[in-house]
Amino acid sequence: MEIFETPLPGIGVRYDFDSEAGRRIGVLVHRDGRRDILVYCEDDTDSCSETLRLSTAEAASLVELLGGTKITERLSDLRHEVQGLSIEWINVEPTSPLAGRTIGDGRIRTETGASVVAVLRDGESFPGPGPDFRFSTNDTALVTGSVEGVAKARRIISG
Amino acid sequence: MRIDIALLELGAMMIVLATLGRIAYRLGLPAVPFYLVAGLFFGNGGLIPVEEAVAFVDIGASLGVIFLLFMLGLEYTPTELRQSLATNRLSHVIDIVLNATPGVVVGLLLGWGPLGATILAGITYVSSSGVIAKLLVDLGRLGNRETPGILSTLVIEDLVMAVFLPVVAVLLAGDSAVAGVVSGLVALSIVLAVIALPARAGQRASRFVDAESGEVLLISLLGIALLVAGIAEYFHVSYAIGAFLVGIVLSGQVAERARELLEPLRDSFAAIFFVSFGLTVDPASLVEFLPIALLLALIGGASKFGSGYWSARRSGSSSKGARRAGVTLIPRGEFSIVLAGIAIAGGVNADLGPITVAYVLILAVGGSVLARFVA
Repeated sequence: MEIFETPLPGIGVRYDFDSEAGRRIGVLVHRDGRRDILVYCEDDTDSCSETLRLSTAEAASLVELLGGTKITERLSDLRHEVQGLSIEWINVEPTSPLAGRTIGDGRIRTETGASVVAVLRDGESFPGPGPDFRFSTNDTALVTGSVEGVAKARRIISG
Repeated sequence: MRIDIALLELGAMMIVLATLGRIAYRLGLPAVPFYLVAGLFFGNGGLIPVEEAVAFVDIGASLGVIFLLFMLGLEYTPTELRQSLATNRLSHVIDIVLNATPGVVVGLLLGWGPLGATILAGITYVSSSGVIAKLLVDLGRLGNRETPGILSTLVIEDLVMAVFLPVVAVLLAGDSAVAGVVSGLVALSIVLAVIALPARAGQRASRFVDAESGEVLLISLLGIALLVAGIAEYFHVSYAIGAFLVGIVLSGQVAERARELLEPLRDSFAAIFFVSFGLTVDPASLVEFLPIALLLALIGGASKFGSGYWSARRSGSSSKGARRAGVTLIPRGEFSIVLAGIAIAGGVNADLGPITVAYVLILAVGGSVLARFVA
């Protein structure tokens, strides 16, 4: 599943993707933490038929109802607390150039200064993977470093 | 000053504004044009006299401009400004050329000279980020494909104003054209330096300002904004820009809290600013200049639709989405008034007042209504 990220200056960040059923769904993260759920029109995918406004607490409850974990939210809190240090979960998509290749192949630390500190695979975790650790599709890498470094690492991993 | 009369005047004024604000809200229209019109009917011989309160209204209007620009700066981070500058350059150039030209031409035809024509160009060019951002939220269009393009256009227009305003201010101060160019370049380099500022510097500055108590933070913000505004005004580069730049530098949680703390202040003093601008305009002259303003508004609406449509098509919107983008960008508002206010205070032809009021009135209301119908 490919998620598109679009910055909206003065408002926040929009994430959207196409569902298997052919509908486009998005989440708008306002800068104050509020979230909107965006449901795009079936016939005009350039516009939304529904915009649901959620408070921070409502968004958290909805995530639980949908069966997600709260781990990403905790991490985003952490990210606010430690300024200048960025921590991010990065998915290894099937299209990723690093799928099936090792961390060392990506030269992540040499190129970006950021490090892969853990990898999640099917609910299992691999803390502190070495440079010979081989990524497979749908792995999730936990990357930490400077804000710029992590952004560069994201480009290397997700292609 | 008789404090009792002054309070009565201010109180009555606020009640009228509140009533108009309610009506505007009901109709789903921006309140700014209503405040302007209210201002027309206040003042000596008008509905509510503003004699004893005039000193407060004058200072309050300046504070309104400072808060408007300060909050505008807080809306944007240097990163967002950099990103907007890096993309769609051609669209931004077309936006300037298409929408400034009507102002220049009409200004010259009215015999206002190059300076008056330049200022009118700024007034016809700049869309209202306040009105448009609210429109996008109200109409549930934040998710639309054309929206990032609209927002980036607004960012660039505000940024262009950040350079334009100091140049105009210096030229108005009666300094030579050379001094205008020099201070324009200085303003440009300060604005660019602020944008290029590494995120870390902004964070450090923000942490320095930050305070646990909301009260202390608010007073600190006011102190800094007014101080920088005062310094900028001393050097003839317009106090508005000083406040704008302070807002851009602040980032992260401080900016978030500052937005919350300053919003009520911005809303109250901006209303006073719009009223005080309306006060300077004679309702009779508004009628006199209505035909010119109407013509200018028709051209300005069409040219904005054109540049918005073209830019949205270019970044891949359907023609339907591009029509929405074009119409949404039509409203003009606070920045046009700020420009006209500075120009009139600086001695430019006073006819600028009624023309700007009518222009903003037609386009802010007309644009908002049109945006609803073009679905």
